[in-house]
Amino acid sequence: MSAPYRLVLCLALAGGGAALAADKTVQETNDYYLRPLDALLRVETQAKAAVGSRGGARDALDAEVPIDIITSVQLQSTGQADLQRALAVLVPGFNAPRPSITDGTDHAPPFTLRGLNPDQVLVLVNGKRLHQSALLHNNGTVGRGSSGVDLATLPLRAIERVEVLRDGAAAQYGSDAIAGIINIVLKGYGQRSQATVTYGRTGEGDGITRQGSLFHTLPLAGDGFVNFTAEWRDRGATNRAGADAGDGGRMNTLFGDADTQDGLFALNAELPQGDALFYLHGLYDRRRSSAGAFYRRAGDDRNIGAIYPDGFLPRIEPKILDFSATAGVRGVLDDGTRWDISYTHGHNDYHFYVRNSLNTSLGLATPTSFDSGATRYTQQILNADFSRKMGRHTLAGGYEFRRERYRILAGDAASYMLGPADNFAYGAQGFPGFSPENAIGAGRHAHSLYGDLKYSATERLMLDAAARAEHYSDFGSTLNGKLALRYRATDDLLFRSSVSTGFRAPSLSQSHFSYTGTYRNSNDAAAQFWGNFAVEHPVARALGATDLKPEKSRHLTLGMVFQPSSQLTASADVFVTDIRDRILPTGYISAYSLSSLSPQAAAVLAQNNIDGAVYFTNAIGTRTRGMDLRLDYSHELANSARLKLVAAYQRSRTRITDVNQAPEVLGVNMTDLILDPFTRVLIEGSQPVDAIKLWSRYSQGRYDLVLNLNRFGKFYSVSAYDRVAFSAKWTLDAELSLRLARDVTVALGGVNVLDVRPDKWGRTDDSLVGAGKVVQYSQYAPFGYNGAYYYLRLGVDF
Amino acid sequence: MLPGVLALLVVLQAPWAWAGDEERKLEAVFIGRFASYIEWPAKPRERFVITLLDDNPFGTLLDDLYRDKRIHNKPIELRYATRLEQVGETDALFITLTSASARAAAIQHAQRNGILTISEAKGFAESGGIIQLDFVEQKARIKINHAAAVKSGLRIGAPLLSIATVLRGDKP
Repeated sequence: MSAPYRLVLCLALAGGGAALAADKTVQETNDYYLRPLDALLRVETQAKAAVGSRGGARDALDAEVPIDIITSVQLQSTGQADLQRALAVLVPGFNAPRPSITDGTDHAPPFTLRGLNPDQVLVLVNGKRLHQSALLHNNGTVGRGSSGVDLATLPLRAIERVEVLRDGAAAQYGSDAIAGIINIVLKGYGQRSQATVTYGRTGEGDGITRQGSLFHTLPLAGDGFVNFTAEWRDRGATNRAGADAGDGGRMNTLFGDADTQDGLFALNAELPQGDALFYLHGLYDRRRSSAGAFYRRAGDDRNIGAIYPDGFLPRIEPKILDFSATAGVRGVLDDGTRWDISYTHGHNDYHFYVRNSLNTSLGLATPTSFDSGATRYTQQILNADFSRKMGRHTLAGGYEFRRERYRILAGDAASYMLGPADNFAYGAQGFPGFSPENAIGAGRHAHSLYGDLKYSATERLMLDAAARAEHYSDFGSTLNGKLALRYRATDDLLFRSSVSTGFRAPSLSQSHFSYTGTYRNSNDAAAQFWGNFAVEHPVARALGATDLKPEKSRHLTLGMVFQPSSQLTASADVFVTDIRDRILPTGYISAYSLSSLSPQAAAVLAQNNIDGAVYFTNAIGTRTRGMDLRLDYSHELANSARLKLVAAYQRSRTRITDVNQAPEVLGVNMTDLILDPFTRVLIEGSQPVDAIKLWSRYSQGRYDLVLNLNRFGKFYSVSAYDRVAFSAKWTLDAELSLRLARDVTVALGGVNVLDVRPDKWGRTDDSLVGAGKVVQYSQYAPFGYNGAYYYLRLGVDF
Repeated sequence: MLPGVLALLVVLQAPWAWAGDEERKLEAVFIGRFASYIEWPAKPRERFVITLLDDNPFGTLLDDLYRDKRIHNKPIELRYATRLEQVGETDALFITLTSASARAAAIQHAQRNGILTISEAKGFAESGGIIQLDFVEQKARIKINHAAAVKSGLRIGAPLLSIATVLRGDKP
């Protein structure tokens, strides 16, 4: 075919394709025109997403980056009592294991996105940054060495939708937005008040959950509103521990969910005044929780037989207070410029208490209950945004000032002291307290300037460029950028791609966390210190610690959305995320654990009477690669029934690609210092390699049936330096709800109704962890180990 | 190479409406459907005129949809105005103005001239607009200020009132 003919053919095909696309839209609109009015009110439109754009909400499917929308209907149909567990069964790549016997982590477990760390996810509420927990996950759990947001502090009934942006976005939102962003949108205008009570329990009869919530809305003039949600959530403990063969086969340990009570409150209000709108939202959670440490048997050196003749199980019982509030005003100027000024204050107080314990070193004078101290984190943000459409451009930008403060408060003296009676075991058994040497008050502030320019080159091609410059008072400045492209090849087909850089500021807890203890063996002339030293501590400095640098990331996402009809949408995205200078705690720096430790470092330890030390450092680089597939389908059936189906697959793998130089003074390389098999598996294999989610809802008349099928992919753990594989598992959740009256609904449901459990450990040399031993499941199990859970829920709208 | 580039240019410049933009489709449909349930005082016009005031978020969708439709047995004429002064004689006015004061001026103009006003703006019905279209949790909702309709000399049919939240005074 000659060139002119090819030209004519191409033009004809291209022009014809566009014409067909426009015809299809008109045809679908014409179909709507023929429907009865009340049928039009039942049409479910595409979900809108505000995250990732400063120009206002847009169709999530039409965004230049992949965004999942989780609706309140989906959240509530999971039967889960809190947001974190609900997202774990709805969002592919969202991992929320349920660690047990891990100190503070039992009571505020971590979550991750795309196999990265809890602090590499930015969480927003109504588009405003939500503060992280003061808790530093300091045990061998997923997320070790990080502080994340505690999602259980939000009442589930206050949430209208959750937007999950699956792409790096630090160039728009600043620190932490590496794995993605979770934007929680609280119920706003046009809602109905609702009261709900729920009762549930596991198939084994424990884990009794009682939940009562009240969502109430008060309409104000001009379509303003005041919405508040009050919730009481009481979750009983579960226990899947095995018998302790070393204690006569007694069941002496608790391994399962903590016994937790939450009192929650949420507020969301908007008051329009002319072209301005005043808004206020806030969250409050007061939590009491209780979980066990490892059992101290009767003959254990850490026990005093006169107090606990049969041994004892220390109980770690923190009190957690978490609150945040955002107040602001936004509006539009006569020239169309939109503006938004807000102030956000967030606070988390994680206070450790220990019961049913003792301080062995105090002998019979020991108390059995302790205040082990607290960690506190406060965040204040002042933010000013603007956006303006100018022809085909949308220009947005703003300024943000953020102040953070982190504190460690010492516990009572008995909780940390080394007494005269037994110098081997110091402090409160289960969780020795923070000592005055650990107490600290640290802060920093950051200024940010950012801009975002969207350019619609044509009606089909959109380019987005964003940049954000930040200056932190502790580590200095960063500059990050993002370029995104969205191209609608046809009416049905959209391509999208983005490249960006990002960063995560070292958390104040990583820079300043200090948790040390003392003991003295009979041959020690002086008490020996050990534990985690803050990077600015003289001992840590002498051992090579330096101020932490930010983690730096690079992102590439490439994807497409195919929407052959308004009922069916499919999307596919591949991504690569490189992170360098990831922050990890070092291994235990001691002369006996690091055989090649330099004499100089050994001398530092000896001179300071330190058995061994740990501190945080920028250690490694990683590459995470993966893909997301998603399919949404809805269908109106002939008998007024509706079927909605959401299917998703996610796969991601993280590999360590770089290892930084270890401090020269130590005389060891970084691999020996940090990357023991446990840490390597924790980073590369502890999270499911893939996940499948298949959520479906069939509605007819008064009935709704929801089925949620989940596949949690294979993961790895470590036993005695060997990697152990745990196979993928399928779980099925089901809920049947019935409208007893127009405003009264009862729902009966089951989570993991097939009672599937994760693989148990095989044979191990460990005395407590392994087949037939006390701990039979891996801490990394992505859906816990409770087995089936059933619930009954009654809801009344008013 | 050249044919491919030219074809791409044709595609890039083609009029577009994303298949998934259901809100926009519904809005386009509701304008005409609302009008079919409303009675105006007799006017001597041969065409039923719908005017869109300020930004046009529909592209060519309104023209395509209403090209062969009739409302109250009249063919439909679509007009696009960027300022209130450009709004001539019209039966229905779809308002996308972002400024509350500009919307208030448009509402006053409409009430004086017996025009049906429709908008998505929050507080529109309370501030004297006749029909406010909202989308809450991905579904459309209709709010009607009945007093404003009466003041404009319009009669709204029962089928439309029955599926809407109706403001009969100034209170929601």
